[in-house]
Amino acid sequence: MRLTALDEVSERFGLRRGQGLAEARAMFPAIDVVDEDEAADQALLEAIADWCDRYTPLVALDRPDGLFLDITGCAHLFGGEEVLLKDILGRLFQMGFDAKGAISSSPGLSWAVCRFGRGGVIPHDNIEEVLAPLPVNALRLDMAAVSSLHKLGLKRIGDLLSMPRAPLARRFGTGLLQRLDQALGLNEEAISPRRPVAALSVERKLADPIQAEEHILQLTGQVAASLKPGLEARGVGGRVFELVLFRVDGRVFRVLVRASQPLRDPKRISSLFSERLAAVHDDLDAGFGFELLRLNVIEHELFKASQGDFTGDGEGDASFADFVDKVSARFGASCLQIAELRQSHLPERAEDFAPAMAARVVGENVEEAFAFVPKADRPLRLFRYPEPIEAFAATVPDGPPQRFRWRRIVHRVVRAEGPERISPEWWLDGKDTEERDYFRLESEAGRRFWIFREGRYKSGKAAPIWRIHGILA
Amino acid sequence: MAENATAQERLFALRAQIARLEGKSLPALAAAEQAQAAENPECEKAKIKQLRLPFGIDPLDVALEGGLPLDGITEVRTRLMGDAGAASGFTFALVSHLKGREVSGGPVLWIGDAVSRQETGAPYAPGLRQFGLKPHEVLYASPRKLDEALWLAETALASRALSATILEIRGNLKNFGLTESRRLNLRTKAAGRPLFLLRHAGEEEASSASFRFLAEPAPASGRRLPDGTMLGGSIGHPVFRLTLEKSRNPAPLSFLLEWNPHDRQFSLNSKAGEFLSLRTPPAHSGTGLPASADRQDRTPALGHIVAFERAS
Repeated sequence: MRLTALDEVSERFGLRRGQGLAEARAMFPAIDVVDEDEAADQALLEAIADWCDRYTPLVALDRPDGLFLDITGCAHLFGGEEVLLKDILGRLFQMGFDAKGAISSSPGLSWAVCRFGRGGVIPHDNIEEVLAPLPVNALRLDMAAVSSLHKLGLKRIGDLLSMPRAPLARRFGTGLLQRLDQALGLNEEAISPRRPVAALSVERKLADPIQAEEHILQLTGQVAASLKPGLEARGVGGRVFELVLFRVDGRVFRVLVRASQPLRDPKRISSLFSERLAAVHDDLDAGFGFELLRLNVIEHELFKASQGDFTGDGEGDASFADFVDKVSARFGASCLQIAELRQSHLPERAEDFAPAMAARVVGENVEEAFAFVPKADRPLRLFRYPEPIEAFAATVPDGPPQRFRWRRIVHRVVRAEGPERISPEWWLDGKDTEERDYFRLESEAGRRFWIFREGRYKSGKAAPIWRIHGILA
Repeated sequence: MAENATAQERLFALRAQIARLEGKSLPALAAAEQAQAAENPECEKAKIKQLRLPFGIDPLDVALEGGLPLDGITEVRTRLMGDAGAASGFTFALVSHLKGREVSGGPVLWIGDAVSRQETGAPYAPGLRQFGLKPHEVLYASPRKLDEALWLAETALASRALSATILEIRGNLKNFGLTESRRLNLRTKAAGRPLFLLRHAGEEEASSASFRFLAEPAPASGRRLPDGTMLGGSIGHPVFRLTLEKSRNPAPLSFLLEWNPHDRQFSLNSKAGEFLSLRTPPAHSGTGLPASADRQDRTPALGHIVAFERAS
């Protein structure tokens, strides 16, 4: 077992990372050892990355203990790079993290300065000066390359900078030169952000943290209103919105809502969130309040603007979409469904359900042309799984029963229509599946049932199973 | 003179208030309407058409004062879960009839109950299509709890985007009492959209529904042959045995109603010989108490108070 991390005191005693646990115990018997929990470390890093979203949408993880922030175009919002870095480090310090940070023109340089230098903001013009005194480990090389560089006496980056490139490439491969170029900013290096960048995003910083749900909603409405010009300028409306709430203590909550149609109207956007917040009410722990609120447009679509008329007839569609959105935001998209007909003779496969959100045009008749129209009557209510019944005195070979027992009640059949034979779909069910003979029955009491016989009566074989599949009006 | 006028004023205000409570038009306005109707009968018809859903059967429409309200609750209940076919059939027939008249556009919302769905199955789109409702016209909601179902119904009514809402419930629920029903009724009044309440295996209970039907199954009519005769032993258009339990009309009506899905029309099934009759007398002859007709609930049958031994 080896030490993977140390606190300040043990570092002062002279313990090192990578040292054996037995050796460390021998030196200082009183040390406390805690097992490493990689998952927890990872979760903590992710949480910090979430929190860093307040500075820039482009946050990438640098496992196991670093973060890359692409602050291109963001620094001025916080009053310059110096102030930004001070702000981040100050806030992290307040939360109890001992973090170091550097801002430079390339990720490689920042990494090097952060871990092996003093950190801070590196000006563009003296990159080489800053880089030269740093050890070669600062180039993010693997251990083998570092040790072979050390053997040759190349201990600092400055030693490499003064050497001709071709022999270096031949001796150590192109990897070393690539890392060197990345640190120098000659070779563009892309970081991979954790989350997709929102197409549009507006935020509101609060001097006084808010806790109440109605305040959040009110603010969401205001923020959504400032989103409108951006959407209008692009001629789009948002389909998926994300509300990001930054709590005072650094926790970040994300609330996602979807709309069935592209939306611009601030009122409707905030009403979606009001339904969603009502649904996630218990999960949203306001604690000491939220200090920053951001509204992102994750997905957007072309907005079909329609001109309203004086009679207000055009509002029907809008209010229907509004209703679907509200319900879906509150109970999830699967709560509200619409049936689509399928081309199948088997009753249970003749219909299929889709969320009403996904079915874009509810009023339009798209499927009708392709749907299979059964000639015989179909039941009004269909059981999801056909229930077995006991059929008595059925006419052999293919007649309806005289009586049948379903859920312990015996029904006497007065009238019967059938059989309607439906062959199995062998391409889906296999060749052994039995065909079904459907009957419509009417009992003495006037109840009408839809039952079927699975297979046929054959001599020397067990009697086929009868099942009830639906109820007719 | 002035006092007299004030008294008149107060009287008129009280009358108006009572009329509003009862859901009727103001007496003075009603008189004016009648005068207008005498001059222009077409206009009057159009007005009734907007607010009411007539069955197209004269004796029934008279009993319903012109038809089912399009801005109110209509309840359909069954005594047993097994009668769900008749009750859902009648409800869907009503909705289909409504859609056929093109009173209002927009889809129909079915708010289902999870247990009823297991007991009697879920509405089946191809079957509904044969019943006169196109698949894309019906939305299915599957709330998990009654609270969610009520919220859905209320939101659906308030949005005015749906031409009808069907709320399926099972039994007499504690959380769905007079208060909730009144709340929904106010929503329907404000929105002008109907709510059909489908109560499986429920007792009569006080509610804000304008009308309540008891649905029971009845033998279907036969299939009609081209020469006008019936095909013996065939199962044709569905027939429902309905009892109008709650209405302004004091006498409960019982009748057999046939639904023709192809023409989207109701007709009275006269073949069974039962035209319009009073409800069936109670099972036990001991019930000597007079039926209180003009109440929301009637005297329970004697068997409910005194437990009789089963005869057989």
